[in-house]
Amino acid sequence: MDLYARRRVVNGVVMTLSVAATAFGLLWLVLVLWTLLENGIAAITPALFSQMTPPPGSAGGLLNAIFGSVVMTLIATLIGTPTGILAGTFLAEYSRGSRFGEVVRFINDILLSAPSIIVGLFVYELLVVHMGHFSAWAGAVALAIIVIPVVVRTTEDMLNLVPNALREAAAALGSPKWKVIVMVSYRAAIQGMVTGVMLAVARIAGETAPLLFTALNNQFWSTDLNAPMANLPVVIFQFAMSPYADWQVLAWGGALLITLTVLFLNIGARMLASWSTFKQ
Amino acid sequence: MPADITVVERIAERGARAGAIGDVVFRALTFLFALFVLLILGGVIVALIDGAWPAFRTFGLSFVVTEVWNPVTEKFGALAPIYGTLVTSAIAMLVGIPVAFGVAVFITEICPLWVKRPLATMIELLAAIPSIIYGIWGLFVFAPFVQQYIQPAIIDTLGQVPGIGALFAGPPLGIGVLTAGFILAIMVLPFISSIMRDVFETVPPMLKESAYGLGATRAEVVWQVVLPFTRVGVVGGIMLGLGRALGETMAVTFVIGNAHRISASILQPGTTISASLANEFTEAFGDLYRSSLIALGFILFVITFIVLAIAKLMLLRLQKRAGG
Amino acid sequence: MSPTQAAARLAMPLVPSDPDVADLATMPRQKAVIRNVDFFYDNFQALKNVSLPLHDKRVTAFIGPSGCGKSTLLRILNRIYQLYPGQRATGEVLVDGENILAPGVDLNLLRARIGMVFQKPTPFPMSIYDNIAFGIRLYERLPHSELDDRVESALRRAALWDEVRDKLRQSGLSLSGGQQQRLCIARAVAVQPEILLLDEPASALDPLSTQRIEELIAELKADYCIAIVTHNMQQAARSSDYTAFMYVGELIEFDETERIFTHPKEKHTEDYITGRFG
Repeated sequence: MDLYARRRVVNGVVMTLSVAATAFGLLWLVLVLWTLLENGIAAITPALFSQMTPPPGSAGGLLNAIFGSVVMTLIATLIGTPTGILAGTFLAEYSRGSRFGEVVRFINDILLSAPSIIVGLFVYELLVVHMGHFSAWAGAVALAIIVIPVVVRTTEDMLNLVPNALREAAAALGSPKWKVIVMVSYRAAIQGMVTGVMLAVARIAGETAPLLFTALNNQFWSTDLNAPMANLPVVIFQFAMSPYADWQVLAWGGALLITLTVLFLNIGARMLASWSTFKQ
Repeated sequence: MPADITVVERIAERGARAGAIGDVVFRALTFLFALFVLLILGGVIVALIDGAWPAFRTFGLSFVVTEVWNPVTEKFGALAPIYGTLVTSAIAMLVGIPVAFGVAVFITEICPLWVKRPLATMIELLAAIPSIIYGIWGLFVFAPFVQQYIQPAIIDTLGQVPGIGALFAGPPLGIGVLTAGFILAIMVLPFISSIMRDVFETVPPMLKESAYGLGATRAEVVWQVVLPFTRVGVVGGIMLGLGRALGETMAVTFVIGNAHRISASILQPGTTISASLANEFTEAFGDLYRSSLIALGFILFVITFIVLAIAKLMLLRLQKRAGG
Repeated sequence: MSPTQAAARLAMPLVPSDPDVADLATMPRQKAVIRNVDFFYDNFQALKNVSLPLHDKRVTAFIGPSGCGKSTLLRILNRIYQLYPGQRATGEVLVDGENILAPGVDLNLLRARIGMVFQKPTPFPMSIYDNIAFGIRLYERLPHSELDDRVESALRRAALWDEVRDKLRQSGLSLSGGQQQRLCIARAVAVQPEILLLDEPASALDPLSTQRIEELIAELKADYCIAIVTHNMQQAARSSDYTAFMYVGELIEFDETERIFTHPKEKHTEDYITGRFG
């Protein structure tokens, strides 16, 4: 085969393999989502949302777990978002080229990708050991530690996109720096920052490992933040690994709920991001 | 025109002073929270060392190379979890990198413009699906499938080859190191692919056009122009994916089989550091048991920290070169 | 001002004195004087020993080829360069006799007195009303009706009121390019400054909008001391009373616009004006 024909064959092979790889990736997405839907839909009954997690061998729902997840996610977001935004603001607005800023950015990115089970261990040592018991607070703190690096990163990125001319225009009117940031930069970056928070929430909505050693689980309904609290991921973990069919069905139901929430937040965040660039 | 200059100046000065105070306060506030990020990492390191200390003191460095894991006799060794972590991650990389590369090439070079965005979004959704979903899917759907079809096929073909046959010895259990590694591959490929895509897009179009202008095929442009140009970023992305794979917990926990031993065959069950932690920590009795688990966590932290730091440094170097 | 004081001001070295003028009171007063100013971007010297006056109620244009330092010079006047570390200026800039480059000068107060409009329109991401009110609210507590009046008067001065009076609550970003720039001008005059700095205000606009901006400048100069940077020589010739020609960081020539464009003293100036370079 002459050289040119061989090159064309190689090209064809490579291109075909790329298409195959993409199809391969998409295949798994479809498979996972399909089986999730198939197995989980059976569990989506009114009982799911009105009854508590049952003992093995009986029917029930996931109300306490849903409640616990929502509460801890909310607290984690309330703690993590302002922290992340302020730290991200420091990186974008005050730390131009400083060594300290570089170090913080570096460490933040490490935390961003660190195994979440390590975060769980850390909060265990920090809070659970000292308080003497597992608690929803500890769970929320662990989730907050996962939220913070995400929000720091997106806040910094979004603030860096705000054109300097806008800041100069505000400064040229005699505005002090903090007002330039709060009243102009934040407003300009608000859509991106909200997207970042949504993505962070999507991330913690499905996190199991950090809750394993902090909030643990609770078979019953509890609103006590100082006690172990039920949550969807840990319940799924426990129920799915068990040999009981009832529990397994509930596990699929919980998995479907989490996935729908996560997908909804992700797609919502993307739509928000593209809507804002369109508006410009 | 300023009608009454003294009035304007008086109000302005008050405003200016308040502004100056506001500046000091706000800057201090943002600085404090930036410092807090550092403190979190510092706290993690301190807490892990503190918790792991009894285990390291008791077993010394041989902890890392001992395979025994016996809670009853209180003899613990990290070798099996470390081995499992490394092997599952290696499998994940072996499968994930080529696929991620293929996806990145397809999205940046081949697919029509209107397909790019939705396709990229869908691949990224793979990354958004929580780990536990992969775990439960792996346990109930994938592992049985592997047990029924894939593993027998492997045992009958690759398992018969002298030499490497030991790597693929039966019995077919469905769960095991290979299954876990494969699911990890699916989970990390969107990360690697997304970074590859980003760095591929930084190649100046004129560079690619010059190559095409000389008559190069698409594959040649990718292999000889795009890849060398983005080499550092690609490696950085791969290391980032590796960091993820090393720390992944729930998906692996469901399908790895939780056996504290090292088998030659990757079709057999094993354990990883994160899986051991997830399975055993809440039921660990005795301080040494718990401390040994935290020691495992510390080792995992060190490994991922090193990998992530290298990845970050490489990506930073690429940014600097691109003038970013 | 007594005739003696007026005469004393006229004794300033760089002011071109026209012996034929009979009425001293209409002689332009110097609002600001730039004296021996150097400017550095880190180690690179961008301005070398520049001195020139800015006259009140007149338009002074800075012209010159790219990189000559005209924008740099403009940005010294409200010390906006201080947002960036590594940029510094030495020398003196006297505004009404006070050196604004001295340490201890409150920058925010300074910038409330010296307004700036930039090359690209920069409306804030807020309503048209809030854009104008932003600067006012920084320093004054006004009752609602008074604030409304101030906003309206600023928009009238910028010849924008009629076009936006019904959509004050709409976002500033919804306006066209030319309107956005007039919005920025309105925003700058709303805080009642004494000096207006315009950095190539029409360069990003279409010819019609450019014309409107130039008309606006002609109206505004009745009340403000205006300094304008422009790379458009015809614009400088049309709109300004005084012109400073700069080249590679140095002030080559400063004179009344009419004289610079008809009888430039320096060969360099003549070459630039006749298009031999730049």
